[in-house]
Amino acid sequence: MTQVLPGQQKRTFPSKFALMVGIGFVIFAIFPLFFGEFQTSLMAKLFLFGTLAIALDLVWGFTGILSFAQGVFFSLGGYAMAYYLKFNLAAGASDYGGGLPEFMVSNGLEQLPWFIAPLQSFPIAMVAMVLVPAGFAYLIGWFIFTSRVSGVYITIISLAIASALNTLFVSQQAYTNGTNGLSDIAPLTLFGAKIPLIGLYWMCLIFTTAVLMGAWWLTKSNLGLILRSIKENEARVSFLGYNIASYKIFIWTLSAGIAGIAGGLFVALNQFISPVYIAVPFGTQVVIWVAIGGRGSLIGPLAAAIILGQIQNYAEQITQDWQLIIGVLLLIVVLFIPNGLISLIPKQSNQVTSASKSASS
Amino acid sequence: MTSLLSVQNLQVEFYGFKALNGVNLDIGDRELVTIIGPNGAGKSTLLDAIVSKSPVANGQINYQGKEITNLPPYQIARLGIGRKFQNPNVYDELTVFENLLLALKGSNGVFASIFSRLTKWKRQKITTVLEQIGLTESAGTKVAALSHGQKQWVEIGMILAQDPKLILLDEPTAGMTPEETHATGELIQLLSEVHAVVVIEHDMELVKQIAKRVIVLHQGQTLAEGSVQDIQNNEQVLEVYLGREQIDVTA
Repeated sequence: MTQVLPGQQKRTFPSKFALMVGIGFVIFAIFPLFFGEFQTSLMAKLFLFGTLAIALDLVWGFTGILSFAQGVFFSLGGYAMAYYLKFNLAAGASDYGGGLPEFMVSNGLEQLPWFIAPLQSFPIAMVAMVLVPAGFAYLIGWFIFTSRVSGVYITIISLAIASALNTLFVSQQAYTNGTNGLSDIAPLTLFGAKIPLIGLYWMCLIFTTAVLMGAWWLTKSNLGLILRSIKENEARVSFLGYNIASYKIFIWTLSAGIAGIAGGLFVALNQFISPVYIAVPFGTQVVIWVAIGGRGSLIGPLAAAIILGQIQNYAEQITQDWQLIIGVLLLIVVLFIPNGLISLIPKQSNQVTSASKSASS
Repeated sequence: MTSLLSVQNLQVEFYGFKALNGVNLDIGDRELVTIIGPNGAGKSTLLDAIVSKSPVANGQINYQGKEITNLPPYQIARLGIGRKFQNPNVYDELTVFENLLLALKGSNGVFASIFSRLTKWKRQKITTVLEQIGLTESAGTKVAALSHGQKQWVEIGMILAQDPKLILLDEPTAGMTPEETHATGELIQLLSEVHAVVVIEHDMELVKQIAKRVIVLHQGQTLAEGSVQDIQNNEQVLEVYLGREQIDVTA
């Protein structure tokens, strides 16, 4: 019985979305063939920033939780990868002995700290890249969301977390190399072979596509409907039998896990991580990508991260005050296009309905 | 008497002000109870306390023999108590269909919600509800575009989709035309054949239409209880409530 209700969306949209993503994927997959190493590397980085924006969109755009701590989770994943690669390099060098990175030696450490040592193992480092940020997010989320803290206070807490962790990483020189961060690290290898830049680029592209599709699928499910309801009026949802806290904790933790993987890939690509990515300014950048791209649209924030990254790239070559250009752009969007750049595209392609996906069953 | 819901000596305070001061209430299975009372009598607060929207300072609420006082609202909802709020508390940004889907009984867990599908059962249930509230045509419309009366219907529809054992309706007909009000009254009577229903109502016409047992609240306490006729002939009630209403009407 295929009884179609007026409330259900036609099924053209999902296939259209898949087609769009497919075309985008192919274009970006062959992108490196036409552009140099610099652009390839830049684009890969921007993909990762884009996934960071998608991850924030799930939390902010859909659920209504504005967080400036996205960089924290990104960096936790990044540091996990960076330690692993650092140890790989240190193990090869005999100068300092014991596989201890030079900054630890120069800061008076004689032994690998117990909480960093396990990252010498590849599987553990990979698991830590996801579980450390996700676990940290779960812990914070549990305290915030079960204690009925809401709205702007969560945002303030996220700012505090970013600041506190930044200070911690800067101050614990012996363990983190302070403001210098972890650089001079080994390239990521697979089965003993170094992964070339194009390989890393494709890894980033595949990861980004997977996150985009996964996030889209998730937000089309009943979960997406519930998240949007929480955003609009969270008290009401609880009277329908939904435990709001568990939904918020889930999406918050998932978002942090995605950010962690993005951070890990970022380090493999960029060969560098520092507390700059933990601090509030970077977290703010993620917020700006989502705001400019369009909250709750997934593809908007991704596009905004890429476009703004490219604008910044060229603006930097013209003027030192490139941030002014980004600032003016943000101002224009906030004042005149409050729903982000995606809202300029005709309605049909960014309509959000949960019924459409479910209609297939 | 085994009651579905039993409220004993309920007290709710707001900053020292006793909004409810020792209310007792028993609601049997499939019973229709109407609560009336002047503004500030504590009618909405009583429903708030039952669904744990307002914390209970003193007293006890038992549902199906188990104490539910101050349980988290979502747990109370899962036990089978549905609440309609005074101002239509619906999702403007969602379509009528989505509002109903959201309210639908079952799949309340996080992971269940990710993998839940719009099964035939769910679709039929929503279709039925849409017919009951007369909004089949508007299923795909965002609630924001509906009239006040229609929004009331959407929220009543959400309660129907939720399919609770006990339905709490807070002024379900506010903002409705007399015809709509009458239709709502008929729906409420229909509902009370399968569910226990508590209705807070100002509209005396509707009260006369639906009421079996009427409870009058005044200053956080039960003032009177009985049939519509009992209430209308009760001196105290006339004084605090009906009398004033009549004066208001003639003035």
